[in-house]
Amino acid sequence: MSTSRHPVDPPLSPEAISPARRAVLERVLDMIVPPLPARGLPGASQVGVLARLLGEGRGALPQTLRELDQLEARASAEQGCGLHELPLPALQALVDAARAADPAFMQPLALEAVTCYYQDERVLAAIGVEPRPPYPQGYQVIGGDLELLAPVRRRGPIWRQV
Amino acid sequence: MAEDIVDVLIVGSGASGAAVAWSLADTRMRIVCLEQGDWMNPADYPSTRLSWEAEAHGIWSTSPNIRRRDTDYPIREDESPISIVNFNGVGGSTVLYSAHWPRFHPSDFRVRSLDGVADDWPIDYDTLAPFFALNDRMIGVSGLAGDTGSPLREPPLPPVPLGLMGETIARGFNRMGWHWWPSDSAIITQPYEGREACANLGPCHSGCAKGAKSSADITYWPVARRAGVELRTRCRVREILVDDKDMATGVVYLDENGIERRQRAEVVVLACNGVGTPRLLLNSKSARFPEGLANRSGLVGRNLMLHPWGLIQGVFEQPLASRYGPQGCCILSKQFYETDLARGFVRGYNMQISRGAGPINTARQGLVRGQIPWGAGHHEAFARRHEHLINIGICIEDLPEEHNTVTLDPELTDSSGIPAPRIRYTMSENSQRMLEHAFARGTEVMQAAGGTDIYTEGPIRYAGWHLLGTARMGTDPERSVVNPWGRSHDVKNLFIVDGSVFVTSGGVNPTSTIQAVALYIADQMKQRLANLFD
Repeated sequence: MSTSRHPVDPPLSPEAISPARRAVLERVLDMIVPPLPARGLPGASQVGVLARLLGEGRGALPQTLRELDQLEARASAEQGCGLHELPLPALQALVDAARAADPAFMQPLALEAVTCYYQDERVLAAIGVEPRPPYPQGYQVIGGDLELLAPVRRRGPIWRQV
Repeated sequence: MAEDIVDVLIVGSGASGAAVAWSLADTRMRIVCLEQGDWMNPADYPSTRLSWEAEAHGIWSTSPNIRRRDTDYPIREDESPISIVNFNGVGGSTVLYSAHWPRFHPSDFRVRSLDGVADDWPIDYDTLAPFFALNDRMIGVSGLAGDTGSPLREPPLPPVPLGLMGETIARGFNRMGWHWWPSDSAIITQPYEGREACANLGPCHSGCAKGAKSSADITYWPVARRAGVELRTRCRVREILVDDKDMATGVVYLDENGIERRQRAEVVVLACNGVGTPRLLLNSKSARFPEGLANRSGLVGRNLMLHPWGLIQGVFEQPLASRYGPQGCCILSKQFYETDLARGFVRGYNMQISRGAGPINTARQGLVRGQIPWGAGHHEAFARRHEHLINIGICIEDLPEEHNTVTLDPELTDSSGIPAPRIRYTMSENSQRMLEHAFARGTEVMQAAGGTDIYTEGPIRYAGWHLLGTARMGTDPERSVVNPWGRSHDVKNLFIVDGSVFVTSGGVNPTSTIQAVALYIADQMKQRLANLFD
């Protein structure tokens, strides 16, 4: 009997994202989901998103890099420096302007960011979710009060007799 | 060496193929089923890992175009607002389906007589009733007898839990004075036939690691194989062969090593769903069937029905633990199922209340819909939604229209070079009106239950589960592809048993009805064995 054996592609080389781009991405990730130390929540830069972009989330990488190129060009034209050299407020302003013009700007990155974020054990514990897979324990769910059906029963059949 | 000829060759091991294989097994005929996918190993399902939600966006996606397994075929669907979702493996799409288990109503088989639209089926509800009941017993179905909204039935197992979420929305339906009822579910809520009961894992759409979801691979197939049916996996059928007497002689397929093989058969049964079956027929062109096999009516691939799906989502102040429990099964409402022309459309829809998302999908959906922002407001907005959501899915009955089609794409092929299907689908004005009506009524019931921030969307893109109508049954060979018991009008030893044969789509998830129809066709074949080809 053959069982499913779907091949998993190896991750992309780390060089697919340059060090300068990594530095910018980490700052952008914290713009998406910032840390909230009071609740024990890390920022999105701390949950392995860059590794995901080289692996399961690689589909988001080409567009993300193109969008970084656009920001780079704008930083160069408006600020006369590289994107990675911008102070955080200036980088934030650039990203905000791009998203105001196009709400889907950097959406693939944001989706990969929260996909990674909300499977991080620290995050799950902080939001009150047991950091475990559903199987094998499963979950208890209340059966519910079937007496609520009383008015439905009183109204009688509503389906069309043929 | 004499050529191997089997009695019955079934193509596809999903809901319908499995049911037919089991039913025909008691004839002691030699039966072989060819399946292009693999056997599934429940230990591989994502719910066994912390990454369970993330994996549903990759190799466990319900979309073959996203999943891209080597056992899948691609589907061109840029001319449709609805993408096809399915699964290729033993059990077919039941491996990933939600197991929501309503059945067609008697009125669904009489839409021309009752409402003056589409066509009546050549069979009726009463004909199928014993097969609905048999199927429910075979696979294990939970529910509550006495439903006032749909035909009488006796589910063998008690219903899935309502949860706080189900109770909350049920009170909303009561405030509106509307019908609701615990959903029939193809999920066992008590141990059944050696399987353990549902443990409320949640992500039924990614396969059930518990084995509580009644998918065809763990219900019909073990019994069918014990009865002698042979199931061959990783066999991709390219073409059905016919002789000069218009009789099918077998198929050409590629085995797991890509080697082309032929399997001869006395009877060929197609069970590849409403996209895969027309694809295979259209790929089986010959001198006698230049437009595709069994297609002298020109209707193979036409009248595609997909059940455009709507979503109404509400946010509730109190925590509802709404992500726990079988994802797609809780309660339903048939309040707007039967035709009432005062609503501005003909036919109707079902409301399917489903559980909330886990944390990843709560965040992803919130980002895409602009409900959860970037930055400082992210955490608060997330907390307000996670486990605080109720979803109402709307399953509207789309009517058969010949311009909604499955054809062959002139360029796209699967990895074996077999032409891929191309979907063209537009929603009718009637469907649009129905969806708008459902959004308004869904909003009302959400508000009656205490929901706020109501969000509506439809048709949902990745919701093309229900693949119906592309080889319809009927008495007239000019107006249908198969006869009232599933036999091709043109090829008298070729049967179609999947959702392709549906004349209309009803307004509910169709798998219960697909399997009842498949069992009915198998029963008809058995009753007519002596003169099956006359």
